[in-house]
Amino acid sequence: MNSRNPEFTPVDESLFNRVLLTLDIAVLERSEDGSAFHLRGLPPKWWRLCFGLAEATTLDSNRCSPFLREYLMNPHPVWENKTGEIERSGPWTESKEQGGTMTLEATALSVGSKNLLLIERLGSHFEHMRDIVQRARERMLTEDITTKSYRKTQTRLIGQLEVSERTKDDALALLQHLGITALVLDERGHVTFVSDRALEMLGLGSNDVVGQKLERVLPFQEQDRQLVQHLLDGSSRTGSGGPFRLDRARPQWVEVEIHRDPLHPDRRIMVLHDRTEIHALRQALNEQASFHDLVGKSPAMLRVYQLVRDVAQVDTTVLIEGETGTGKELIARAIHSCSGRKHKPFIAANCAGLTDSILTSQLFGHKRGSFTGAVNDQQGLFEAAEGGTLFLDEIGDIPPPVQTALLRVLQEKEITRLGEARPRKVDVRVVAATHHNLSEDVVRGSFRADLLYRIRIARVQLPPLRERREDIPLLAHSFLSQLCTATGKTVDDLSPDTLRLLMSHAWPGNVRELKSAIEFAVISCKGRDILPTDLPPEIAAMPVAPSPSTWIPLSGQDEKSKLLAALSDAKGNRTEAAKRLGVSRATFYRRLVELNIHPR
Amino acid sequence: MMQKKVCMLGGFAVGKTSLVRRFVSNVFSDHYHTTIGVTVEKKSVKVDDRDVMLVLWDIYGEDEFQRVRESYLRGSAGYILVMDGTRKATLDTALALQQTAARTIGAVPFVSIINKADVRSEWEIDERVIEQLRERGWPVLFGSAKLGQGVEELFALLATQMVSAPSFPRD
Ligand SMILES: Nc1nc2c(ncn2[C@@H]2O[C@H](COP(=O)(O)OP(=O)(O)OP(=O)(O)O)[C@@H](O)[C@H]2O)c(=O)[nH]1
Ligand SMILES: [Mg+2]
Repeated sequence: MNSRNPEFTPVDESLFNRVLLTLDIAVLERSEDGSAFHLRGLPPKWWRLCFGLAEATTLDSNRCSPFLREYLMNPHPVWENKTGEIERSGPWTESKEQGGTMTLEATALSVGSKNLLLIERLGSHFEHMRDIVQRARERMLTEDITTKSYRKTQTRLIGQLEVSERTKDDALALLQHLGITALVLDERGHVTFVSDRALEMLGLGSNDVVGQKLERVLPFQEQDRQLVQHLLDGSSRTGSGGPFRLDRARPQWVEVEIHRDPLHPDRRIMVLHDRTEIHALRQALNEQASFHDLVGKSPAMLRVYQLVRDVAQVDTTVLIEGETGTGKELIARAIHSCSGRKHKPFIAANCAGLTDSILTSQLFGHKRGSFTGAVNDQQGLFEAAEGGTLFLDEIGDIPPPVQTALLRVLQEKEITRLGEARPRKVDVRVVAATHHNLSEDVVRGSFRADLLYRIRIARVQLPPLRERREDIPLLAHSFLSQLCTATGKTVDDLSPDTLRLLMSHAWPGNVRELKSAIEFAVISCKGRDILPTDLPPEIAAMPVAPSPSTWIPLSGQDEKSKLLAALSDAKGNRTEAAKRLGVSRATFYRRLVELNIHPR
Repeated sequence: MMQKKVCMLGGFAVGKTSLVRRFVSNVFSDHYHTTIGVTVEKKSVKVDDRDVMLVLWDIYGEDEFQRVRESYLRGSAGYILVMDGTRKATLDTALALQQTAARTIGAVPFVSIINKADVRSEWEIDERVIEQLRERGWPVLFGSAKLGQGVEELFALLATQMVSAPSFPRD
């Protein structure tokens, strides 16, 4: 092309038309005054669908869509100033006459003196672009929704976490603040929290505890561990138990309280109470209680202790001799506890005042129906004490038939239940006690000699209290502190006068009587010291510092004449006589019998 | 009959087309078909017994890839800013478009609507923000193209404002 046609007259009409058809473009020329647009060349096929007959060569602005009409009416610099540039309208959607839409775009341009308007139908290229935009936007929307739901979940979770952290922190802070010895356990029994106080009690660091299994933190003995586990598994909201022993270098005793975490039913809050000190005290108290008559450091008692230790080492029958109240049963217990049988039962039986059938059935058991009232098969005390020690108190009171049976048991090491023929093997150590002189009983014929020799293989003789007076202050103070611990009373001491009274009393009831006297005094006592007036009247009434020899030794003829004198003073009234002597009625009676006094 | 060109402006998928279709043809579709360029629809309303033909230019939604062509806005007697209550970002787009409109066509009346009131529980635009828009002098309506709520009111309000607004010669 060497020259441009200023009139825009195509050189080859048919070529121009073919180009327009191929591009799907309508070309219109704007009139000079801008009032009309004339089609140039052949319009594309779609033209008819929007703008009517193809033969009409002028664009009917009434048939134009508002968009195109406005575009045509608006001033366009490319036309006014003939800048030689082109200006696009941007796409718009046009309705077809038969329905449906198509997207068009107009271009304003000037060529030479002519202002032209091209209207193009946006085809496949445009549709493709539109698809991309559509997909991009749809994806943005779904992503938006996903992000939002994600964010929502996140917010919810954070909220939940905050709440739970807060409540958890509150609860834990409270446990800390109140100085509670507490552990929190998760559903697997691992420790998730431990209070400072608990760490202090256990002597552990937080790292040794948090995350660990409970049994590693609290090494309970197997049996206790099962009990604790039982509490943890329990369905009740709270539970408690103990004290349980923690097997550590320094054993500790703890009581355990289990609470369910109300927010997490699978979690447990475990509160520990250190009972080590109380346990030690209680044990000391128990020990003292079960050995308390053994308190004393008089030579006589030291000899007894040694004897107990020696006797405990051999598995023979032992006879303990001593007045009432001297603590014969406690000696028996001591022998048992020091012996190899200490983990087996210790059973005490009092043989006094029982008929032979009752005593026989008690000792050896019976078969159902063997006597009236024997409604069940019943094992006897020998069987109950299997492997351990049977303490037979007041052995001197056993009726002769039972003595025979007992002798056989000691010889054969087997018992036969009443009403049964078949003997049963027993492994029991017999420790017997008496306040009689059994040798005298043998002479008198009331006790079998062979039985005496059988039971008196070893022999422990307990001195009466009056023969170890130096132990009285020790015993009195020991009872005092025991009683104060048990009753919560604070009585510190015995006044010197009180002590003097105690020292000079005859103590026919021995240590048992001393203990009752202190009990009586502690109850009566109003101040911090026990005064003579707090003591039982029979002791308090005693003139202070009488010659102790008036009562000591209280045996043989001396005692007999004392009793007789008291009886005559009391005009034969035994109760009154006992009172005058400062002994119990029972002791008084017994002594009468023992000393063969038969008051009329 | 008095004709008023009204542009529907807003981010993509806020419901411009849906509002126009609900208003003009009383139809709604859950299906999203994005507008490319512009589709023009007409509907007449009565303002103080006078018929006013609203020529509604439903313009493609603006996003980060496509700014609204200012030439589409020219000659508008008013415009509607549409926001999607469930998408906070559409508020920023509306703010930007309002500035473009004010720059391009001057202080013509406009009304804003927060669309999709039928899913109010999922809204991200809260009362505090709405209050701030009102403080800027924006008339803010709530509506739902889906349920047809607030749609008539939206166009009626703008029509009234356009009729009573002093008409300035175009640029
Ligand atoms: N729930 C609900 N959805 C709506 C509402 N209005 C529109 N939609 C939906 O929102 C999506 C977008 O709606 P359109 O009307 O196409 O939005 P648009 O603003 O024209 O979008 P563009 O043309 O892409 O800018 C569609 O899926 C509609 O069904 C409404 O009031 N409530
Ligand atoms: Mg649309």
